[in-house]
Formats: sequence, C-alpha cells, structure tokens
Amino acid sequence: MNERLFHVSDMVINWSRQYSLWPMFFGLSCCFVEEAAVFTSRYDLARFGAEVLRPSPRQADLLITSGTIFKKVAPVVLRLYEQMAEPKWVISMGSCSNCGGMYDGYSVVQGIDQILPVDVYIPGCPPRPEAVEQGLLMLQRKIVQEERPTRSVLGLAGGCQGSQAPILADGRTKSRDPRGPGMQGTAIRGTSVSPPHFPESRSDLMWAPPPRAIHLSETDQTLARTLVARFGDDLQAASPVSDMPTYTVAPGRVKAVLRYLKNEANTRYARLDDLTVIDESARRDKARYPDYTMVYSLLAFDPPGRLRLKVPLHGKDPVIDTVTDLWPSANWYEREAFDLFGVRFDGHPNLQRLLMPHDWEGYPLRKNYPGRATEMAPYTLADARERQPLDGREFIRRAGAHQLILNVGPHHVSTHGLMRYVVALDGEEITELAMDIGYHHRSVEKIGERQTWHQFIPYTDRVDYLAGAANNLPYVLAVETLAGIRVPERAQCIRVLLSELFRLSNHLVWFATFAHDLGAMTPNFYTFRERELILDIVELITGGRLHPSWFRLGGVAADLPDGWKPAVDRLIQVFPQALVEYERLIRKNPIFKARTQGIGRITRAQAMEWGVTGPNLRACGLAWDLRKQFPYSGYENYDFEVPTAEGGDCYARYLVRVEEMRQSLGIIQQAAANMPAGRYVTDDYRYAVPRRADMLKDIESLIHHFITVTRGPKIPRGEAYAACEIPRGEQGYYVVSDGLGYAYRLRIRAPGFANVQVMPLMAEGETMADLIAIIGSLDYILPDIDR
Amino acid sequence: MKPIAPAAWSPWEPNILSLVVFGVMICLLIAVLLFLSIWLGEKKGGAEKSRAYESGIIPTGSARLRYPVPFFLVAIFFLIFDVEGAFIFTWGIAWEALGWAGWLQITFFIGMLLLGLVYIWRKGGLEWGPGRPRR
Repeated sequence: MNERLFHVSDMVINWSRQYSLWPMFFGLSCCFVEEAAVFTSRYDLARFGAEVLRPSPRQADLLITSGTIFKKVAPVVLRLYEQMAEPKWVISMGSCSNCGGMYDGYSVVQGIDQILPVDVYIPGCPPRPEAVEQGLLMLQRKIVQEERPTRSVLGLAGGCQGSQAPILADGRTKSRDPRGPGMQGTAIRGTSVSPPHFPESRSDLMWAPPPRAIHLSETDQTLARTLVARFGDDLQAASPVSDMPTYTVAPGRVKAVLRYLKNEANTRYARLDDLTVIDESARRDKARYPDYTMVYSLLAFDPPGRLRLKVPLHGKDPVIDTVTDLWPSANWYEREAFDLFGVRFDGHPNLQRLLMPHDWEGYPLRKNYPGRATEMAPYTLADARERQPLDGREFIRRAGAHQLILNVGPHHVSTHGLMRYVVALDGEEITELAMDIGYHHRSVEKIGERQTWHQFIPYTDRVDYLAGAANNLPYVLAVETLAGIRVPERAQCIRVLLSELFRLSNHLVWFATFAHDLGAMTPNFYTFRERELILDIVELITGGRLHPSWFRLGGVAADLPDGWKPAVDRLIQVFPQALVEYERLIRKNPIFKARTQGIGRITRAQAMEWGVTGPNLRACGLAWDLRKQFPYSGYENYDFEVPTAEGGDCYARYLVRVEEMRQSLGIIQQAAANMPAGRYVTDDYRYAVPRRADMLKDIESLIHHFITVTRGPKIPRGEAYAACEIPRGEQGYYVVSDGLGYAYRLRIRAPGFANVQVMPLMAEGETMADLIAIIGSLDYILPDIDR
Repeated sequence: MKPIAPAAWSPWEPNILSLVVFGVMICLLIAVLLFLSIWLGEKKGGAEKSRAYESGIIPTGSARLRYPVPFFLVAIFFLIFDVEGAFIFTWGIAWEALGWAGWLQITFFIGMLLLGLVYIWRKGGLEWGPGRPRR
C-alpha cells in the first residue's frame, strides 16, 4: 500500500521538479556562448521550464559545466557545486567538459566527471543550442524515469534523487586516452614522435624553398646603420628576414638598445608589442642556438613600423634585466615568461606566477615538460580540494585595517569569464585592484608545438571564441608570410567577408552584455536576434557557427556555396535599421550616460605605452587600425573609416564600437559586391590542402594531400609574425619553424592580455559599481588573455 | 464636487473576531509552509555548504568591519528628512482646522529643515562616492 502511495507521490514530485530546474549562471568558456543563446528568442529555453539563470549557487540546482575545466578553476567548480541547493544535477556540456576534448594540455582536467557526478553529457565543440535543449530534455527524462524522491524526502531509507553518478577515476572507471580505451601499448602520436624525443623526421627528406625574404625599407636600413654604429659588436642585424627588421643583441646591452629605440631613435618604437621566450633546447641543429632566446617585439606609431630584438640566454635558469622601468606593460609579459619558461628578471617588482596556479611545479613551455595532460597524473577530487586559489590578501599590497577585501570572480556574472578581481574597498571606493588571471589558461601555445600547421587552425578559432574565423587570419598570415605563400584574390576577399561578419557578431554580443551590465536587459534580446542572422550566413558558408575553422594556408577550405549572396544582401538590408533601434534603446538614456561618461578613463599616452589596442585605443582619440596601418588580405582596396572618440572613458568606447559596426557593414557590402572570380585556395600545393577534385584526379595533388594531412607541410626554418585587427584589438601570431610539419614555437600576442593589464589605472578610485561598467566597456575575453 | 451624504456611507462595524481569525490563519499558513520546507527539504551540511559564497573563492577576513562614516550619514539624513514628511502630511490633512497659525508653524518648520539641508550641502555631507576628484 505504502509503495503504491509512494509511487504516486514520486510521480508528482518528479513532474514538478522536471519543469522547475534552476540552472546556475556559470560559463567556463566557448560553450557558454551557445548556452546563453539558448535563452534568447530563437531557441527560447523558457518553453522547457528552465528559463532563468541564477547568479548564486544557493539559488540554483542545475550546474551546466559549459566549457573547459582548467586545473586552476577546478577547486572553484567543486565549491560552487557543493554550495548549490539540494537536490542538484549536473550537465556536462561540450567535449572539453566531457573528456578534455581537443585540449589535451597540461592545464586542463580531462573530464569534469573526475571531480563531479555527471547526469547528462552533451557532445559537441561547442554543442549547438539545440543540443543544449536536448540535454535538458534528457535530464528531465532522467528525473522522471530514474528518480524515486519520496523516500528521500520523508527521510526514509532507500529512494534516490539528484545526481547519483559515481565520480570516475582514471585507469579504473574511465580512460583518459584520447584514442579510447585499450590503446595503452602504443605511444600517443605527438609525444614520442615530436621533439625532444624524436631526432629524425621524414620532413628532412623533403625539399622546401627557402623562407620568404623581404627588402628593408629606407627608414629601416638607416636605423640599422645607426644601431650598428652605436652598439658595435653587441648588436647584429639578422639577414635575410621574412617579416620585419630583426637584431640579435648581447644580454648585457639589450636594455640600452631598448631605451635608445624608445626614446632617442629617429623612429620612436613607443610600444612594447610583445615579449616572449623560445626554449632552444630541442633544436635539431643545437650547436647554432643558445639555451633560450628572449624575443622583444616593438612597434612604432609614426611612421608605422615593427622591429624585433632577440637576446641569446645561456644556462639552465637564465637571468636577464627587467624592462618594467622602460615599459610598465612588461610586468605581465615578464611574469608570464617566468611562469612558463623559468626565466628570471632582475629588478622585477613582483615576479610571481601569473597564469599557472601558485603551487604549480615546473615550467610548462620548456621543451622537457610534458605537453599532454594524459602524460601527467590524473587530476582527482583530492587535488580539487587541496589546490585552492591564493587568498585574496596575498594580492593586495596596501591593505588598510578597515578595508574590505572582496573577490569578484572567477564565478561572477559580470566578469565575462573566468577572471578573478581582488578588490580592496573603502566603503564603495576601490582603493586597490588586483587581478588573478590564468583560470582559463588552455596551454594553446604548447599544443601548437605538436599539432601540424593545418591541425592547429581549429585551436585559433577558440582563442577568441566570439571572433571565430577572424582568429584564423593572423595565424595563417604568419605561416604564409614565413613560407611566402601567395593567396588568390578571391580567397582574400572571402577572408575579409568572414572576418567582418565576425566583427559584427562580436560587437553585437558586446553591445548586449555591456548594456546588461549597466542594468539594461532589453538590448540582449534584440542584438541576439541579428546575431543569429549573421551566424546563419556563417553556417551557410562554413557549416559551423562559433568555430568554423575555415581558413587554410593559402586560402579557405571551400568555395562560397550557392545562395550566399542573397543571405548577405538581406543582412546588409536589415542591419542599419536594427542598429538605429539598438542605439535608441540606450544611447541617450540618462542613466546609461551617467554610468559611462567620465568613468574608467585612460589617457592616450597611457594607452599607447601600455599596449592597449583595438577600439579601446581608438576611444582615446588615436586613429590606429592595423587594417589601415599595415594592410593585409587586401584591406587597402576597401573604402572605410577608422572611427575614433575622445575621452578614453566607457562612453567613448561605446561610441567607437557602434560606429565600427557601421563601417564593418560597409566592408561586407563592398566585399560581397566585388567578390572576384578565381580560385579559393592557392595552386601551390606544397603547403595547401589540395582541392578535392584535384586530389582525386592527379597523383601530384594526391601526394601533397597525403603529406599535408598526415605529417604536415614542411615549412622552412625561420620565423614570422603577423598581426590582424580582430574585433578586440591586435592579435598577432609569432611562428618559429625548425623545418618540420609543425611549429617549433608558437606565440600568440593577445589583445586582451594588454588591454586588461591597465584595468587598475581605470578602476582605482572609482566605485565598485563602476568596475562593472569598465569591465563591460573593455570587451575582453578570457581565452584571449590566458590562451 | 458635492460631499457625499453620511447616510450613503457603508456602515463600519468594528468586529474584533474576524481580525483574530484572519491573524490565526496567517500564522498557521506560515507555520505549515515553514514546517513543510524544514521537514521535506533535503539537508546536507558540510564545511563548503556553510561557507559564505564569494565568487567561488574562500573569503578573506571578516565582513564585520568598521563601517565607513558616509553610509551612517546617509542613514541619518534619511531619517531626518523622512520625519519631516510625517509632520507635513499630518498638517496637510488638518490644514483647514489649523488655519493660519498652523500654516505659519509649518512654514517655520520647513524653513528650518531647508536651512539644515543647505548647511549639510555646503558642508559636503551629500557628496557621495570616491574621495578623490575624478580624473
């Protein structure tokens, strides 16, 4: 009798629960963008009874782990789960969360099920919004079919509710082997077959043309003569070079050279564009290289120019002078070099780990460090309990007795990703702001050293997951620059078309989230409507939404499909009116203006010195845009303006981005109207993936196809840097080749890294509420900062 | 507008019983709801569950700090100027009965409050937000 009653009450409770699930607002990475799209009008999750994302774990009973689980953030995920209301469920969303996905890297947990019980897995990278809905429906079915809550509710023995799945352990209940279980006997490709373990390569049997060589301009030659005259034997100009003037400088003199270039040279190299290290220990021609090479990339604004300094370092743990006194922006760059390579900087104000957790051992980007997570011990529940993030007080240097030290992030609605701000508050005023980054460090640069040149393209999409194909461009440009690959005009035009579509799509998400941060929710629903329109075009052309991985060395993956033109035309037709509509929602709103005008100010001089790029730089009144200053992919043939604004505050950044959308639309219109005929990929099949028709027809193409997709095309020894104006600023790829099918070193110069480092200048002295406005106006994204 | 004749008013018959019944029902309902959620809700303790939520990080220090003075000032000013409303509304309802004498008194009262407001304003008591001037 009791059992029959319980059965009825089980049904009632389960029915009620399945339609009132409360997901927590917690995005880990790319997947969350698709999860967020589910809540907007087209996908409308409200129909299924889980419509409101709760910002606090106390109010939520459904955790959707949407994205990569990083070792640094895993303790936080576990805590959030434990703080959630009972009973609770977990949906693991996306390949990364399911098993590590394509990020088999040292910093990534290979599956959330190693630390949390999982009810439903949603496959995909990222899963489409429909897949998220399917996942929710599967969870609802699981609740109805498998749970017997009455006994648990009444406190009786038996019965079950919430997640009951076991936590899995590597080797016993799960296999972390990316090829699946049962392959233990065979070494994973990319470990034992890549340097430093593997001394010979079939690539050496293959002839390849020498790297591209450029002629230096008159200005560069004059500078070279002056430098050689001034610094004598301590400085040698490299020749030939593929991309920019390059000098090798003795470690003792590098600071003098940098100071001269910044303050005295005819062309002032005012910005430290990038600073990184190459571990030379796995070079196949070891005698020609030092132990480490420091690389400084400089940029001059007037006339626009670039320059690279390379400094040979010797010893196991080399030491070099800091340049933080010349460029304050070097602070984070040097900390990163210390963190990942173990190079020490004499005189650095705060030489701590930056990206890796404070208790991490070893220097991951050294060649003798295991690249794959699956080569390391599995991450377990015990690790997630022990390896807690550093206490907030460790970050605050001038803490007074009455100050409140508050952690904002890594789980916070307004930090736009896994970013942790540690704020010292006096009342509402921010007296000190510190940042803890690295919660989203995906070990991409290390992965770049084992994936072949083509295999790495999908990783570039995910570096800035809202800019999709626009990310592919700097990478393929860098490799094309090094190897001297010529890209057909049609391919260049398709690249521009897609890059600009993604700029629109990115700025729409920015518009929605920025307005939302300031309390205006409505724009969200409108901008996501047009964003879907853009993603439809992207999907029509590429077959993907967020991460099309569409560009290839020497072109793009396939030709434009039938029907692309009407779709683009429709966007061009409806978008201007939509933009007017969004603007009407907030631009003249007095609250919006009060929250943004004069808030988060940064001067033009500060922005230039700190390496701030993109719309954030242009909002300081400087018309600096790589598409104009260093035109690439045929941008010089398009008619467009570089919008700027004065003031450098949140409102100025808003104005610039909105105007950029108009300009982007203009470029899309021109690209669509003047799409040239011709090939979509180069006919130089030494590097490119041949067209399928050719591959099936002639043996030459077949051989190239085979080599390119198996061991990768042989890119000649050398180095090249290429940077593009992606929606968030200047993203650059520095590729170093040792003449193999994959990069020897791959470095990403990320706009977010530099843009976010200036945050204390903007936010200290403002109120706590202003910090949220400033975060929204900067428009950063975490994988772009942490990589 | 013509005044409504008292005969047309609905009769007001004060009855304490209905109020008591209403009160008891309210108390019962609250008790039942609280009891059900305590009885049926799943309770799991643990260190993490009882820790304060702070973006997923273990909080630093205590939240029981000495409060900055501006918060207190705002509370006090609110009290002062809120009490003003209580007097003015009462006067507004009875202004016919109080006549010119009442008008003079309330004018004096409002005038004094205005002087107080000017004083606070001049002293910078209404300045809110970051201490140092905006860049």
